[in-house]
Amino acid sequence: MTVYETDIPGVGRKFELELDGEARAIVVVHHDGRRELFHRATPDADSEKLFDLDGEQARQLGSILSGAYFESVATDDLTLPLGEAFIEWFDVESDSPLVGETLESAAIRAETGVSVIAVQRGTETLENPDAGFELQTDDVLVTLGTRDEQTAVEDLLHADD
Amino acid sequence: MATLLLQAGVVFAVVALGGAVATRVDQSVIPAYIVAGILVGPEVPDLLGVPFVLVESQEFITLLSELGIVFLLFFIGLEFNLDRLLASRSQIASAGTIDLLVNGVVGLGLALLFGFGPVEALFLAGIVYISSSAIITKTLIDLEWIADPETEAILGTLVFEDVVIAVYLALLSALVLGGGGSSDTLFALGRAGAVLVALVLLAFYGTGLLERILSVRSDEQFLLRVVGSAVLVGGVALSMGVSEAVAAFFLGAAFGGTEHAERIERVITSERDLYAAVFFFAIGLATDPSVVLEVATPLAALVVATVASKLVSGYLGGQRYGLSKRRSIRVALAMVARGEFSLVLAALAASAGTTPALRETIPALAVGYVLVMSVVGTTLMRYSHVVERWAGTPQKTVAGR
Repeated sequence: MTVYETDIPGVGRKFELELDGEARAIVVVHHDGRRELFHRATPDADSEKLFDLDGEQARQLGSILSGAYFESVATDDLTLPLGEAFIEWFDVESDSPLVGETLESAAIRAETGVSVIAVQRGTETLENPDAGFELQTDDVLVTLGTRDEQTAVEDLLHADD
Repeated sequence: MATLLLQAGVVFAVVALGGAVATRVDQSVIPAYIVAGILVGPEVPDLLGVPFVLVESQEFITLLSELGIVFLLFFIGLEFNLDRLLASRSQIASAGTIDLLVNGVVGLGLALLFGFGPVEALFLAGIVYISSSAIITKTLIDLEWIADPETEAILGTLVFEDVVIAVYLALLSALVLGGGGSSDTLFALGRAGAVLVALVLLAFYGTGLLERILSVRSDEQFLLRVVGSAVLVGGVALSMGVSEAVAAFFLGAAFGGTEHAERIERVITSERDLYAAVFFFAIGLATDPSVVLEVATPLAALVVATVASKLVSGYLGGQRYGLSKRRSIRVALAMVARGEFSLVLAALAASAGTTPALRETIPALAVGYVLVMSVVGTTLMRYSHVVERWAGTPQKTVAGR
């Protein structure tokens, strides 16, 4: 695995990290301490900006990613950097009404309030799935939302209609 | 004193307003500051018979805009990194040389065609050659191109331009600030050369000394020391017949070699932005719109020819960096914007003022030119996808997204 480091005159420094295949994760560290994260799927693609972090957020995320930041607490009285929201995983079982639905037609966010931030299918994780993404049996939904919203997802997945 | 403070208040308020409007319409702030200066300045046509002059040219505006020039160039020097330049010298040098030759020749050719003399032509060539680091870097960040490979080609070429412009400014200012007679000119050149050599020596061997000057914990003391040395060196240089801009560049390069470089940037950025804004405003203030209108025809020719020449040199430069066709097109579009350095040159031309063309025509041309090119440049970048599609190289859609 290679990390490419480049100076960006007048801006700061750029780090590129090789991911699976041709994809790269790119971090731009500005002189003022701001970090921008990008993802580039292929060498010819435009880098897609994921988010901005200030210095403190970057340190937090860094420690989470490196495994140093871990607090085992009950989710009920959890205070997390996301505020009230946290991330939950849901299996899409074969009898779920959502099988065969697209994210758009399932209207998960409208129904429950959570955002589907990724879908795990087999060994693959599809980040930011778009509205036309069709759910299949055994997919795992990765959702971001509050406790109540996450409960609503549970209900939606097991609705009888 | 009250009037002076009131005038200063109007200046900053109007500049802030101009910046707000520009940001609102997704444009660069530089043309907005200039227009703000024109609108409240003494040269604006009467508004319904009422003279609408809020700000007269004042010494304090001249001073602040002078500081703007010093800090703009000081910052460029600070970012100037010889090791980086040498690390990718073959790419930077070849892309940079293409850029210099294509645009310099087009600028010189047009200037001679317009009937300007040799010194005037040199000024005009510089004005159309130098792209705007400020506008381009800002737009690269805004449009999220900053992580893409074309950025290296774009900023690499800009670094080359910065070096060229430092040398060019040094020569040109010695030429025009030196005065009339040839023996005077020789003496002036010699003295200017001595100041420059001293500054270059400082940049190479003075790191230890500068390091000691700046090792202070308090940000306040740190800022004062940086500002104190930058402004003092600029002032000394100017009084010795060397452009303050060049002196500031070399001093910046000297400071850039110390381990305090990043801290200086952090502490000084807002200072630079403030004074640079006043500099652009002052340019507008000194601009008579009717003179700009008088030069509309050469201005249009200049715009068309030098948009084309930058597109060509940018594309070729991108190819030298081994970029794909699509990314080379982006380099070409990005390089079009002209801004602060063209205006620094115009200010130098005006202050030298040895011929009527240097006093009036060239500055007016430069202001009109920057107003057009800053907007054209950012717009081209913003609509690069249209150009890419037109050139048959749209971004391939990525499977699974």
